[in-house]
Amino acid sequence: MAAKIKDINFLIRIPLTLAVIAFFCLPLMGLDPYGLGVLNQVGLYALLALSLNIILGHAGMFHMGHAAFFAVGAYTTAILNTGYGWPILATMPLAGLAAGLFALAVAAPIIHLRGDYLLVVTIGIVEIVRIALVNDIFGLTGGANGLVGIGRPVLFGFKLTRPHHFFYLIWGFTALSMLLFHWLEHSRFGRALNFIREDPVAAEGVGVNTSHYKLMAFVIGAVWAGFVGTIYASQMRTISPNSFNFWESVVLFTIVILGGSGNQKGVLLGAFLVVGLPEVSRGLQESRLLFFGAALIVMMIFRPQGLLPPKGRTYKLPSEVARS
Amino acid sequence: MKFIAAMVMMLGLILTAPLAWAADPVKIGVMAPVTGQWASEGQDMVNIVKLLAEEVNKNGGAGGHMIEIEVGDDGGDPKVASLAAQRLISSGVVAVIGTYGSAITEATQDIYADDDILQIGTGSTSIRLTEKGLPLFFRTCPRDDDQGKVMAREVAALGFKKAAILHDNSSYAKGLADEVRGIIKDSGVEEVFFDALTPGDRDYTTTLTKIKTKNPDVIIFTGYYPEAGMILRQKKEMGWDVAMIGGDATNNSALVDIAGNASAEGYYFISPPGPSDLTDPMSQAFLAEFRSRYNTEPSSVWSMMAGDAFKVLVAAVENVDKVSAESLAEYLHNDLKDFVGFTGPIAFNAKGDRVGDVYRLYQVDGEGRFVLGQ
Repeated sequence: MAAKIKDINFLIRIPLTLAVIAFFCLPLMGLDPYGLGVLNQVGLYALLALSLNIILGHAGMFHMGHAAFFAVGAYTTAILNTGYGWPILATMPLAGLAAGLFALAVAAPIIHLRGDYLLVVTIGIVEIVRIALVNDIFGLTGGANGLVGIGRPVLFGFKLTRPHHFFYLIWGFTALSMLLFHWLEHSRFGRALNFIREDPVAAEGVGVNTSHYKLMAFVIGAVWAGFVGTIYASQMRTISPNSFNFWESVVLFTIVILGGSGNQKGVLLGAFLVVGLPEVSRGLQESRLLFFGAALIVMMIFRPQGLLPPKGRTYKLPSEVARS
Repeated sequence: MKFIAAMVMMLGLILTAPLAWAADPVKIGVMAPVTGQWASEGQDMVNIVKLLAEEVNKNGGAGGHMIEIEVGDDGGDPKVASLAAQRLISSGVVAVIGTYGSAITEATQDIYADDDILQIGTGSTSIRLTEKGLPLFFRTCPRDDDQGKVMAREVAALGFKKAAILHDNSSYAKGLADEVRGIIKDSGVEEVFFDALTPGDRDYTTTLTKIKTKNPDVIIFTGYYPEAGMILRQKKEMGWDVAMIGGDATNNSALVDIAGNASAEGYYFISPPGPSDLTDPMSQAFLAEFRSRYNTEPSSVWSMMAGDAFKVLVAAVENVDKVSAESLAEYLHNDLKDFVGFTGPIAFNAKGDRVGDVYRLYQVDGEGRFVLGQ
C-alpha cells in the first residue's frame, strides 16, 4: 500500500479529496431535504450495488436476485424491532447474519451453474422470496401490506429522524464499506475472485477452491445487502414485499454493469446516474424514462465495459507492468 | 411630537396596508400516482384539483389568498413517495392532498408530520392510518371498517333474519367479514354460517350446498368480484333463490360478465358512489366542466375525494386568520360541519377520519346495470 500511494498523482488525488469533503459538507451548506433525500436514495443503491459488485464484478457471477438478500435483512430488522422491541442498530448484525445464512443455503446448490443459467435461478430466488413475503410466511411478514411502525435508529443516544441525519449514516456507512471492500479486493481473497472470473479452469488447475470462493463471495455480498436492509427499513419505517421485486434487482445489476463492474468508483458513478439522474430530470415527467433508456443503449454500444472499468492490477516489478 | 407620531403611524399604515390586503399565496401540494400502476387515478386527482384551483383563483382566491398547486408524483411506490414528500416540503407547501394507496400514504405520514405539514388522504382506507393520533392527518375517504357498519345496517334494513357470512381469507375480506359479524348480532340478525372459500376455484357448489343446509335468507360475501360472479351463477344453476350482498370489491362490471344477467339480477352490494352517480347540481356542473376540459370522465370516486380534500382546504383557508397547518387543522377538526362536498356531507372527527356515510347500497337490475338504491 505504502509503495502504491507514492506512485499516485497527487494532482488528481487532491481535488478528489476536496470533492469528497465538500460532498460530506452538503447538508451544512443548506441543501434542501429533497436534495438530501435523493442523495440518500443514491447512497442506499450505491451500497447495495457495491455489495453486488463483489459477486457480479469481482467473481463474475451473473446474479440478478440481490433484492432477495436485501429483503431478508430489511424484514429481519422489521420483525425484531416491531415484534420484539429490539433497537434498530442492534438488529443490524442479525440482519446481515440472516441474509448471509439465507445466501449460503440457496447459493450452495446452484454455485456451479455458469453464466445465464445462474442468472435464471437467481431471478427465481427473488420472486420466491417476494411471493413468500406476500403470503405472510410463518405469520411474521404481514402479507401484502407489509410491516409498519419500524423504529428510528439511535446512535449514542441521538435519534436519527431527518434526511440529513440519514445522509451521514448512509454515506458514512458507504465510505466504511468502500474502505473494507478496497482491502478485500487487494487481499488474497480478491485476487482469487478475479482469477475465477477471468479463467475458472485455470484457477481450479492451480489449486484455487473455486466453489468455496464463489460461495464466500455470495455470502459476503448478501451480508452487506442485509446490513443495508436494516438502514432502509428504519429510514422508510414501513416495508412491503413490493419494495423488493425483480425490478430492484435489475436496477442494481444495471448500476454495476453501467458503472464498470469490478471498480468501486464506477459503481458509485453508476448509482448516481441510474438512481439520481431520473430523479433530477423529474421535470420531463413521463418521457424521462425513454431518454434514460436510450442513453443506456447508446452507452452499451459505445462503451460496453462500463463507464469506469477497473484499471487492472499493477505490481511493482522493475520496469514491467503485469496485467492480471 | 404628536404630529411626528401621527406621521409615523400613517407611514406604518401605508407600508403595511398592501400586505394586509393582498394576502400571501397559499401553496398546496398534490401527491398523486401520476405514473405507475395507478396512473389513471393519479392523473384524475391532479386534473380535478388543478381545475378547482383555477376556479378559485378566477374568483379572487380563497379569502384573498391565491392558491398555488404543486404536484408531486409518488409513482404508487413508497420510496418514490418519500422523495416526493420531501420535494413538496422543500417547495414550501402548507398542506398536501393525497395519496391513493394506503401503504404509500403510510410511508409519507411521518415525513409530513416531522415538518408540520397538513395531509389529507384521498383513497387510503386502511384503518391504522388515523389510529396513530397524528394531529395534522385527515382523510376524505371512508375507513375499511365503515363499510362493515353500513353493510350490517343494510342487511338489517332489508329485513333479513338469518345470514351466512362467506369470505376468502384475504386480509381485506376477512377483516370486513369480522366487522360485519360483530355488528349484525346486535341488530337481531342471526349468524348461521361463517367460513372462507378458496379464491380462484371454478366450482363453489359444495360450499353453497353446505350453506343451504343452514337455510339462511341472505349470503353476505365479503370477497372480490370473480368469486361473487361464480357464486351467483352456480347458485342460480342449483335453483336456489337466496339473496346475496357483497362489498365494494365486487363493484366491477366483470361481475355481470361472469354471472350473466339473469343470475346477477337482484344482487346487492355496498360501495361508494361512482362519479356518474353524483347527481347533485354542483357535482354535475363540475363533471361537465371536467369533460369539456379533459374530454373524459374521472374513472373512479377516489379522485373525486381529492377534489373534496381541496374544497375543505379552501374552506379552511377562507376561515382562519393566519394560514398555518395548525390553524387549518384546528378549523377542520372543530369548525367544519356538514360541508357540501362532491361525495356528500363532510366533517372530520378528532382522529381526522371523515364522519358520515359515504357507502351506498347498489342493486343489479335485469340488464346487468348497477342501480343506486334509495
